[in-house]
Amino acid sequence: MPVWQQVYEEINDPDFVILCVAEDTGGEAVAGPIFDAANATYIQIVDADHIISSAFNFINVPSAAWIDEEGRIVRIDEGTYAKVHELGDEKRTITFGTDVYTPALRDWVAKGDKSEHVQSVETVTGNIRELSFDQQKADAAFRLANLFRGHGLTEKAEEYWNLTQTLNPDSINFFRQNLTLSEEGSAGESFMVRRGEYESQKKDYYRPLDLE
Amino acid sequence: MAAAFMAYPELRHPFQAKPIHAKGSASVLYQGRQITLAETGSGPGLLINPEDLKRINGFELKPEGVCYADMCIPLNSKLLTTQNGKQWFDLTAFADLLEQPYVVDQESKVWSFAEIPAKRDNMMVNGMAPEFEIPDRKGNVIRMTDLKGKKALIVTWSSW
Repeated sequence: MPVWQQVYEEINDPDFVILCVAEDTGGEAVAGPIFDAANATYIQIVDADHIISSAFNFINVPSAAWIDEEGRIVRIDEGTYAKVHELGDEKRTITFGTDVYTPALRDWVAKGDKSEHVQSVETVTGNIRELSFDQQKADAAFRLANLFRGHGLTEKAEEYWNLTQTLNPDSINFFRQNLTLSEEGSAGESFMVRRGEYESQKKDYYRPLDLE
Repeated sequence: MAAAFMAYPELRHPFQAKPIHAKGSASVLYQGRQITLAETGSGPGLLINPEDLKRINGFELKPEGVCYADMCIPLNSKLLTTQNGKQWFDLTAFADLLEQPYVVDQESKVWSFAEIPAKRDNMMVNGMAPEFEIPDRKGNVIRMTDLKGKKALIVTWSSW
């Protein structure tokens, strides 16, 4: 999150806001310290029920939408990295992210509708994921599971978390969120297997960035 | 990456068992809120006091039907029923009519509703930002409509 704070400070436009939304059933206890460490001054939301992902039909993090002054979506649902990140050491380095997204964002904030990165209504609506009835139902199951977990009813929580993933097996958010409660964590063997399946089925883990 | 790098074992079961609502009550989950209903009708569906409808999903009973903003759904005998002289609104029949998904745990008397598809037409068809209402870390309620007049980047992330 320090990267978004840096972008926010660089753009420094009173008519531009960032809503940074932590999709975390762990809530403030896990997301709060990360916001604090970033000295975040943008709008910070801890979204334990994944309300914002549901609202925009996002199935993975990070994902984003650009909304103009009239409430119109002008870009949506891209793997949204503010920069190229490198993790690891001299022996093994993992690189992810992109260096083209932030300049495009900056261009849009400066030029508005005249920015070449603003997409048409047809492109935007074409980029909004269509969710089936069952995939939408998964949102309801997920929140029911979270309620039970918060009340110490862990067996019921697990039952409805499993139902969530049966109803929406494409959601990386639901899959990895549930793995946070397992011994192996969200980036362990199960995640790697799922990610491999996703790619072998030629599904978009993130929709490719349509930016040069 | 180490297997358990992002796990939070101390948070797996951090919560003490506590009741979801008072005995005899029911709860509705909608848009991240829990709405507790002190009284409900009997039967497999969720029969609510018609006066509770607005605080659940914003719809209101009017002479022309069940209305939200400029949308009105005509009433029918499935939506309004009477038990022992008391009138109830069938929220699950209403959801079925609107093709709104829901999941129920009958034992706990909790009904969890997904969004009403008709409320999302403006996004799916016209590319307008969806309505939402969510508190920020300072406790301010953030609504999509509050952001009008500004450009906004809405970006999700997670700790996991």
